[in-house]
Amino acid sequence: MKKMRRTAARIGEQALPALTIFAFVLAWEFWVRARGIAPIYLPAPSAIGVQLYRMTVDGSLPYHLGLTLIRIFAGFAVAGLSGILLGLLMGMSHTLARVADAWIAALYPLPKISLIPLLIIWLGTGEAYKIVISAVTAFFPVVISTYAGIRQVDHGLLKTAVDLGANRRQVQTKVVIPAAIPSILAGLQLGMGVTIILVVAAEMIGGSAQGGIGYLLISSSQVMETEKVFASLVVLAVAGAIIIKLQQWADRKIAPWVFQPWAVQVDQR
Amino acid sequence: MDVVVSQVSKTWGSGTSAVPALDQVSHVFGSRRLTCILGPSGCGKSTLIQIIGGLETATGGHIQVRDPARSNISRALGADSVMVWQNLNLFPWRSVIDNVAFGLEMRGVPRPERYRRAGALIASVGLRGFEDHRPGQLSGGMRQRVALARALILDRPILLMDEPFAALDAQTKIVMQEELMRIFERTHKTILFVTHAIEEAILLGDEVVVMTARPGRIKDTIAINLPRPRSLELVASKEFGALFDRVFHLIRDEVMKAMQQQALATAGPA
Repeated sequence: MKKMRRTAARIGEQALPALTIFAFVLAWEFWVRARGIAPIYLPAPSAIGVQLYRMTVDGSLPYHLGLTLIRIFAGFAVAGLSGILLGLLMGMSHTLARVADAWIAALYPLPKISLIPLLIIWLGTGEAYKIVISAVTAFFPVVISTYAGIRQVDHGLLKTAVDLGANRRQVQTKVVIPAAIPSILAGLQLGMGVTIILVVAAEMIGGSAQGGIGYLLISSSQVMETEKVFASLVVLAVAGAIIIKLQQWADRKIAPWVFQPWAVQVDQR
Repeated sequence: MDVVVSQVSKTWGSGTSAVPALDQVSHVFGSRRLTCILGPSGCGKSTLIQIIGGLETATGGHIQVRDPARSNISRALGADSVMVWQNLNLFPWRSVIDNVAFGLEMRGVPRPERYRRAGALIASVGLRGFEDHRPGQLSGGMRQRVALARALILDRPILLMDEPFAALDAQTKIVMQEELMRIFERTHKTILFVTHAIEEAILLGDEVVVMTARPGRIKDTIAINLPRPRSLELVASKEFGALFDRVFHLIRDEVMKAMQQQALATAGPA
């Protein structure tokens, strides 16, 4: 009896966030209909749903979403690989760390979005520009987290490895890098977040004919197709949530020890 | 292996902020004996065995590790010893078997060979079936066994143990102490065992070296001539009680001094 009540409470707790979203959408629909608000100003959720369906069937939504996703992954891959590489090298060379630190300190606070006009002059409004702007932005959190992870490696673990016969290279590869993995993954999470932002922003600003969700958003709003704007926003929100969830899932696979900090109590012997 | 410590000193920091940790410590830790180093918190006993293990450098004095049979050949510090750490320092991302096999892996022993040897050692410390668990999935006592197995796999003649059982609950501690006595009586390694527990020092040691409060010096050395194999029942014996009294009186003043030092350090300069 007690157990059942507890299970019911747990299901209620899990369903609560979904319920609030459902209630919000319902209230929105009701309010738009009751007040007769013009769809050009605020379309009803049902109208947005219909629009989503139409754009999916005619292929425009998958096309634009696909383009945006490819750009996000390309920008993220470039930023992730170069950021981790530089972070690791900084961890191994004091000289490089000093030099790179100065550059990072100077460039990190600059809002990367302000580089868009310059990049358009240099690279035009094609793919290169969108990938560069998102990669440059995501590069900083990745390199900073990677280097921080390496610097914060538990000194005791290093001494232990040396005591057990590890040479310098082995200390790096067998202790320093694995110990920095949680921090590197945290940097990649931050990097992914800004990559999504910058790709969509770049599509909004530069993308006259290159497509993408950002382009869809801005072109729909310019012709007052508000339903399309909302449909694009919904797709963007859902895609972003899925990407973040997938990344969290991957993190658990890569570094399971980080996610079980509490010892499971097992009987002695 | 004899460990001959001659006038070893260690100072942390320099100038006005210099803190002396060890002051002219001299002692011969006998080959194939279990010596307990007993002292109040912060007396430099951990520092001393880290210096002996080649993991810290002394600011003065020197240490010789030598085979009593060939006493003219002095060995490199750290080459013959392995440490069991107070906080264990297990690698959290490695499974039990990969933690235990770490030292062999560093030496380039191929995987099947090192897994075979690590597996046998894991079984001998009672962890069969837990090879693929990570340290975070184990209880404190089990982690302790992993740390012990990881040190034992290298089969170095000197085992340095830095308060390895301090964090364990009372019952697990007893089990681990018996485990250590069993290992010592079987392998007769030279063991240096740092502790601040008087009972533990007498129960385990052939000899108890009592250190002073900071800066650490050797206050006295007490031979423990209790018969082996020993077990916990010994604690109730008259001889044990007499030894306990003797050590207790030696260490009491030092503990008081250490407490005052700590109180001053927390209060800071007026």
